[in-house]
Amino acid sequence: MNRSVGNRIAMVAIAATVLLAPALALAQSSAQPYVPPRTPDGQPDISGMYEPGWIGQPAEAPIGAPWRPPQRTAPGRTIGPTDFGAREAAEKDSSRAQIKPSTKPMVIDPPDGKIPMQPWVAERRKLIYENQDKAEHLDPRVRCLQAGVPRANTPVYYNSYQILQKPGYVVIVYEWNHMTRIIPLDGRPHLDARIRLPMGDSRGRWEGNTLVVETTNFNDDTWVLGHGAIGEGQPSSSATSGHGIVHSPELRVVERFTPVDGHIINYQATIHDPKAFTRPFTVAFDAMVRGRSDHQIFEYACHEGNRDGILMATGVDIDPTQK
Amino acid sequence: MRVRRVVPAARVATPLILVWLAVTSAAAQPATGARSQGPRTPDGKPDLNGIWQVINSAHWDIEAHSPEEGVPGGQGVVEGGTIPYQPWALEKRKENYARRATADPLSKCYLPGVPRVTYVPLPFEIIQTPKYVVMAFEIAHARRIIYTDGSAHVEALEFWMGDSRGRWEGDTLVVSTNNLTDKTWLDKAGNFHSTDLHVIERYTPAGPNHIQYEVTLEDPKVFTRPWKMSMILYRRLEPGLQLLDYDCVSFFWKRTLGK
Repeated sequence: MNRSVGNRIAMVAIAATVLLAPALALAQSSAQPYVPPRTPDGQPDISGMYEPGWIGQPAEAPIGAPWRPPQRTAPGRTIGPTDFGAREAAEKDSSRAQIKPSTKPMVIDPPDGKIPMQPWVAERRKLIYENQDKAEHLDPRVRCLQAGVPRANTPVYYNSYQILQKPGYVVIVYEWNHMTRIIPLDGRPHLDARIRLPMGDSRGRWEGNTLVVETTNFNDDTWVLGHGAIGEGQPSSSATSGHGIVHSPELRVVERFTPVDGHIINYQATIHDPKAFTRPFTVAFDAMVRGRSDHQIFEYACHEGNRDGILMATGVDIDPTQK
Repeated sequence: MRVRRVVPAARVATPLILVWLAVTSAAAQPATGARSQGPRTPDGKPDLNGIWQVINSAHWDIEAHSPEEGVPGGQGVVEGGTIPYQPWALEKRKENYARRATADPLSKCYLPGVPRVTYVPLPFEIIQTPKYVVMAFEIAHARRIIYTDGSAHVEALEFWMGDSRGRWEGDTLVVSTNNLTDKTWLDKAGNFHSTDLHVIERYTPAGPNHIQYEVTLEDPKVFTRPWKMSMILYRRLEPGLQLLDYDCVSFFWKRTLGK
């Protein structure tokens, strides 16, 4: 009898703590965090259509001297190596006016913004920069390969997103090269380590209103970041675009997708790969901005339109039966 | 006068609708004549979520064909047995067949198109929500987003995987696909279509682990009449099974660059 009453009191006390804890946390913080609505199965609801965040943000601080673009650009125009003209396009699109520009590197840890590359990764990057005329050093994007993680989430003008949620899953549909990530939330173990995939193997969980995704089982076909081309003559030590940073199959990425206000999803990813980096490093940026509800993910048939590109890069005509 | 005519019409209409519903649902469910068995989503639709795959040889040839080295024989999935080609198109199919080893778009890692992607013998996963049915395929990480939100087709575009709009007719998901390129084939045997192809697919659950898949192809430029294929989609039941990624393009580059 006593025992049962004691249990009940303990349960009430636990319930009170559980219920009050978030309320106390709210009271203590000056700005109340955004609480998204819930899906029928109780997940924070982040489903919907999204467009990329700010496109011109540098990925990293250069490990060497900053690069000055050649003087042939007209005075007064500031076209960085990461732009592709996308900045102007984004500015013209009024629906994207709410996106705040940022000139800070995406790399927030280490605090100097530099990617802590192992010497062989920096060497490989140098090789990539100095051999852009060789097919094997082309950006995987140009070869129509999948972007990998976290690169799939770096804001680029050729991407948009649809997030779907169903019981036990979050699914991210990427327009870019028709990548799809089906992320189970049930805590199942990762795939057998012998299975290696360009987009890896993702497992998710909700921590409060943040979707945390851990991805492993990568191969080494992808680049970690890289959301812009290099400038002609630019030394790799001056790069701020993330271009040319390879990784090993030991890559493990922990991503955090946090809806901050119903419009913007802030994104953080910590990259663990002791073979490629001297320490884990973290990138953070506003990755996704809610788009119009009637936005449609169109087909990104990259390889299908790349016959001329492949011919130029390799001399191989993949479709000689076509005119 | 008008009003008096409308009222009896409504009275008559009710039993007629009931009869029509009974007839159409019986047509959709010839085996049981009742609602399909199996799981349902919260909005009451058959729950097609999960991983599916065909077990047939339609990928190699949708018509009946003998086995050959590397090609399993098959009894065909075309209703009536033969595709009703126009005479010129039959000639073109023969040409395609002769050079199929190099001319098959799949041998170049191109997206398989609709409906071929359904019967490539690799698994695909359905993600079903009230407004969208997304199909993710292992082959070439192809993907279809089927809008079930009542929206209309886009106009006059060309996609490798087409533009798909779906609706539920009872327990059958009916998907209309157009805006297709003429660069995809229907199988490895050179069966083909034009950009005028209109594909109507019907996904009807036949128990919890089977879908009766019927697809009608209309293409007045290539065929003499609409024609139909049918086959069964099987649910993959292995515990822990998940969709992998046959990233054909990356294999192409490894082969081409010799690494």
